Amino acid sequence: MLNRLSFHSTIIFVGVFGILGFSIGFASDPPPADEIGTSVSVRMYQIEGSLPADDPNSSQWDSVPESEFNLSPQVHWPDRIQEVTVKSVKVKGLHNGQDVAILVEYEDPTEDPKDAAAVEFMVGDQKAHFAHGQPMLQVEGGPVNIWFWKKENGKALDMSAKGFKTLTTQEKQDVKAIGAWEGGSWKVVFSRALKTEDDQDVQIEPGEWRSVAFAFWDGAVVDGLVKEKGSQKAVSSWWSIRAEPSADNSIFGWVILGLALAAGFEFVVIRNLRKGQSA
Amino acid sequence: MKGPIVSGAILLAGMFIFLKFILPLVTAPLPASLIYLYLALTLSGVMIFGTMSASGLESLMGPIFRFLSGKGQSGMGQMARLAVLVLFPLLVGWQTYTSLAPSDLPPGENRTIHPAPPGEFVGLANPYQNNEANINMGKGLYAAYCSPCHGANYDGKGTAAPGFNPPPANFSDPGTIAQLQESYLFWRIKKGGVGLPVEGMPWKSAMPRWEVELPDEFIWKIIMGEYDGAHQSPRTWEEEE
Repeated sequence: MLNRLSFHSTIIFVGVFGILGFSIGFASDPPPADEIGTSVSVRMYQIEGSLPADDPNSSQWDSVPESEFNLSPQVHWPDRIQEVTVKSVKVKGLHNGQDVAILVEYEDPTEDPKDAAAVEFMVGDQKAHFAHGQPMLQVEGGPVNIWFWKKENGKALDMSAKGFKTLTTQEKQDVKAIGAWEGGSWKVVFSRALKTEDDQDVQIEPGEWRSVAFAFWDGAVVDGLVKEKGSQKAVSSWWSIRAEPSADNSIFGWVILGLALAAGFEFVVIRNLRKGQSA
Repeated sequence: MKGPIVSGAILLAGMFIFLKFILPLVTAPLPASLIYLYLALTLSGVMIFGTMSASGLESLMGPIFRFLSGKGQSGMGQMARLAVLVLFPLLVGWQTYTSLAPSDLPPGENRTIHPAPPGEFVGLANPYQNNEANINMGKGLYAAYCSPCHGANYDGKGTAAPGFNPPPANFSDPGTIAQLQESYLFWRIKKGGVGLPVEGMPWKSAMPRWEVELPDEFIWKIIMGEYDGAHQSPRTWEEEE
């Protein structure tokens, strides 16, 4: 009796704690409270059909959850600026498996020809400094791809940089952008194919994380001078962005396997207990 | 109802409440995996204690086995057994789902906040005398060059700070410059964010490479002003030994 009882105790102890431990082992603690901004990443949701890439005010954008990032004056290198107009940006993303559209929305009290917005990405596997991929002393850095829009140009520029004063407009232009100002805020949509043939471009693979940063210029003219231009701008440092992967149904296979294992374990234990009690 | 099962359950619940809610009042919150480990150890203790004798074994495990086997049960007992048998696989299924479901969180990055400095920046002494004139000059330079990010109050809350990730260091926090030597600060100010090794993630840092704009004299005096303004003292060699 004693041996059988001990045996059953051991089975239940190892079984229950083994299975729960296995699952809890995977479970992680909630992420620490974000002290800096409200978001850490942008999720580009997958939809069927065409993207609202030509219309920043399309009602298609209304239902897309947004991320928000704080911005700072650019102080990393001269010419610095101590105060900027754009304090934060709301970002939404959509893709349809072919193309991607990113909407940035930010407050700027006046509509000016020299108002501008930019989205920056790391290109390839090498880490690049958020300030135009400038060289790092102990780490071999990579280039950045910058999608730049300016009100007076009315179109996007697809640009590259790897260091201070290396910003160039690419030969192959792949990015589109459209801006709309209303009631003290800009909405600018950038769009491009997820993947391009150009190795100077960021390649967006659904499910994979990329690094993204933002910059904005208030082109208002104050005392005959443009308020923010060139390196005098509002910036963010790197955050994460990802095109949502297609739904993975294999998860449900694993869930069913987990259910079956747990039920099987119960069956074996109870059968053994009943045998023991009738013995 | 008394017995080893009830005492064991009370002990486990008490242990959980202690680890999860009481301990964090005096120290950092424990990770879920560590709480699980301590609870497993507590349960092992209960099991070992309860099964040291045949009668103990019967009073600890007997009721559990009779409950699970379901023989001679009726009414509430039967319902409770059914609930346990159904809930256990569902819990396992739920845990499997939550552990495999795609997360919106980007992969964690373990950034080293104070990585090792290059050899040439270890143990340098500040060549300028720690006197009022030098400290005041340092504070003036700090106000001009550093305070937009690190704050006029040396607390990392400057007007230019909100967009940067990682945030500018808070010098009034005893975990920053009070843990470092002056030569370490000299390295960090002179070479800036781009001077960090890979574990410091230099690509994310907005800290300028001040050697391009400021002479060494300014940097050493800024360090003096920084410690004085933040009411901290540099870590010295004597304390290291």
